[in-house]
Amino acid sequence: MAVQQWADALKKAKKTALISDGKRKVHYQFEDGNEMAEEYDLKTDELVMRKWRHKTTFGGQGQWTLEVGETNPTGATSDLIKENSSNPLFMRRDTKTSFQWRIRNISYPLEVYSVTAEPMERCCVIRTSNKKYYKKFSIPDLERCQLPLESTALSFTHANNTLIISYKKPKEILTLEQELLGELKKLKGTSEGDIDCKTQ
Amino acid sequence: MAAQVATTKVPEVRDITRIERIGAHSHIRGLGLDDALEPRQVSQGMVGQLASRRAAGLILEMIKDGQIAGRAVLIAGQPGTGKTAIAMGIAQSLGPDTPFTALAGSEIFSLEMSKTEALSQAFRKAIGVRIKEETEIIEGEVVEIQIDRPATGTGAKVGKLTLKTTEMETIYDLGTKMIESLSKERVQAGDVITIDKATGKISKLGRSFTRARDYDAMGAQTQFVQCPEGELQKRKEVVHTVSLHEIDVINSRTQGFLALFSGDTGEIKSEVREQINAKVSEWREEGKAEIIPGVLFIDEVHMLDIECFSFLNRALESDLSPVLIMATNRGITRIRGTNYQSPHGIPIDMLDRLLIIATTPYTEKETRQILKIRCEEEDVELSEEAHTVLTRIGQETSLRYAIQLISTAGLVCRKRRGTEVQVEDIKRVYSLFLDEARSSQYMKEYQDSFLFNETQTSQMDTS
Repeated sequence: MAVQQWADALKKAKKTALISDGKRKVHYQFEDGNEMAEEYDLKTDELVMRKWRHKTTFGGQGQWTLEVGETNPTGATSDLIKENSSNPLFMRRDTKTSFQWRIRNISYPLEVYSVTAEPMERCCVIRTSNKKYYKKFSIPDLERCQLPLESTALSFTHANNTLIISYKKPKEILTLEQELLGELKKLKGTSEGDIDCKTQ
Repeated sequence: MAAQVATTKVPEVRDITRIERIGAHSHIRGLGLDDALEPRQVSQGMVGQLASRRAAGLILEMIKDGQIAGRAVLIAGQPGTGKTAIAMGIAQSLGPDTPFTALAGSEIFSLEMSKTEALSQAFRKAIGVRIKEETEIIEGEVVEIQIDRPATGTGAKVGKLTLKTTEMETIYDLGTKMIESLSKERVQAGDVITIDKATGKISKLGRSFTRARDYDAMGAQTQFVQCPEGELQKRKEVVHTVSLHEIDVINSRTQGFLALFSGDTGEIKSEVREQINAKVSEWREEGKAEIIPGVLFIDEVHMLDIECFSFLNRALESDLSPVLIMATNRGITRIRGTNYQSPHGIPIDMLDRLLIIATTPYTEKETRQILKIRCEEEDVELSEEAHTVLTRIGQETSLRYAIQLISTAGLVCRKRRGTEVQVEDIKRVYSLFLDEARSSQYMKEYQDSFLFNETQTSQMDTS
C-alpha cells in the first residue's frame, strides 16, 4: 500500500519538465509544500540527481538537500567550520538495477571495511576496523515505500580509493520506476537548446 | 651680544577619558517587592511609590500565571514620578524569556505603513512562541588543534581541528571566528566539545575518560565524560522562542528577484497572519509549541489618536493578545484626532477597560535616595553637602534635571583632579545649564530679541 501511496503522490504533484544539457529535468511540487527536483540522462534514462527542499518549521524556504548525485564540492557555505578536503566523501549514485553509494578519498584496504544492514533501525552502517570511518545511512526509496531491508541484497567493493556499496533494487521499486519514466516521457517538455528567461 | 636660546616646546598631553553610556533607567533591577508582594521602601533600584509598586506586583503575578493576557493597564502621574521606571521594573521582573516590547506613542505614525499596521506589528512582537527545532551539531573528542599564523604577522589565522568519536575521526578546517572561540573556551586535546553548526557556538562538556591518566593534578571542577559514540555530525532538538512577528516576516517575504526591490518589511497581509494564527493554534493543540503572551508597553499614550484607540479596543479582545501597559502624564486633555476632551486623552470606553495605577510626586527623602542610586550607577562620588544641594535642586526644578547634573558635575570634578563632587562643582554646572523654569523665564525676558516676534495679537491656547 505504501508503494501505491508514493505512486499516487507522484502523480498528483505538479510537474514541470525541461530538457537541457543532455538531461531531462523534472520539478515536482507536492501538496504539502515540499519540492523535489530530478535529472535523468537522456541517452541511458538513468537518474543523475535528485534533491529535496522542505519547508522549515516557521514556513520559510529550506535548503536544497541532495539525495542522489554528486556532492557539492564547496560543501556548506559556512565560513565557521567545514570538513577538510582530505576527508572521505559520501555520495549516492544509482544504477539501473541497484542503489549505489560511493565513498571517495578512503584509502584503506578492502578487509578493513564492514558494511551491514540493520533491519531494526532501517539503515545501513559502514564501519572500519581501525576506527577511522563510520557512517549510518538509510535508503529513502525503501522508506517511502515501506519495504523491508535485507542483508542479502547488500554488497561492496573497493577500488581506486573508492568504496562502492550496492543494494539490489526490489521488484516493486523497479516496476514503479518504469511506470514513472513512461509518464515523464509523456510530459510536454520544453524543447532542447538554450531557453530564454522571460521577464515576469 | 647675548646669544639667543631657542626654546623647545613640549606638547601638552591631553587626558581623554571614556564615559560609559548609561540609560536613564539602567539602574532598575525589578519592582522591589518581597515574597508577600509587600513593597520595600528602597529595593532593586526602585524608591517610593509603594502603592503603585504593589499594584504592579499584583499585575506581575497575574502575568506570570498567564491569567491576564489581553488586559490593559494604565500608569498615570505627573512627569518624573516613576511611571516608566515601574514599567521597566515589570520588564526586569518578568525575565528574559517573556517578550517585552516598549514603544512611545508617536512611533506608530509613519509614512511607510499605516497606524493599525504598526500597532499590529507591535502587538505580535509581544507574543512569543516557544517551539522545538532541530539543529545540526558536531560532537566529539578533540584529538588535535593546529593553528597556523602567517609568517608576516598580518592576515587571517588558519586552523585545523581533528575530532573523533569511538567509531570515526574527521579533520575540520576552521575559520577565524572559530579559532577565536576555541582560544576563548581554552579547548585542548582530550576535551569533549559540541559545536553548533549554524551559530559556531562551542560548548565544552568535559574531559574524556581515556585522558584521565594524563595528569596527576587536576582542578576540582574537572569533569570526565565518555567519548561520544556514532557519527560526529548529529541532529539535536533545541527550544527557542520567536515572536509571532518574526514568523509573519518569514512567511511574507517576497520570493525571487522581486525581493531585491522590497527591502523593508512593510505591511503584512492579513491572510498571512490568519494562516499563522491557525498554524500556531494547531501547534499548541499538538503540544509542539507553547504560546507566551508577553507585555506591550506604550509610553506617552496620549499621543495616539482616536483611530488607534478604536483599533486597540478591538485588538485586546483577541485570544492571542499581550498584556498592554500604557503610561501618560496628561490630565484632562483633548483626544487626538477629535475635539473632545477626556481624562488622560483616552476615550471613556477605553478607560473602562483599564486598570489604572497612579503615581504621586516624590518626597525629598525619596529624591535623595534616587539621586544616590543614580550616582552609584554612573560611578560618581558625591559629598554630603553636594548631595543635599542636588536634592534641593531636584525638588525645586525636576528630578530629570538633577539626574542630568550628576554626570556633568562628575566631569567638572575630574577636571579639577578631585575625587569627590563638592558643592562648588554642583554650583558650576547649575549655572552652566538651565532648567526648564529658568529657560522659560529667559525666553519671556528676551523674546523681543528672537526672530519672528512681530505678531502682537493675543496668543491662542494650545491644548
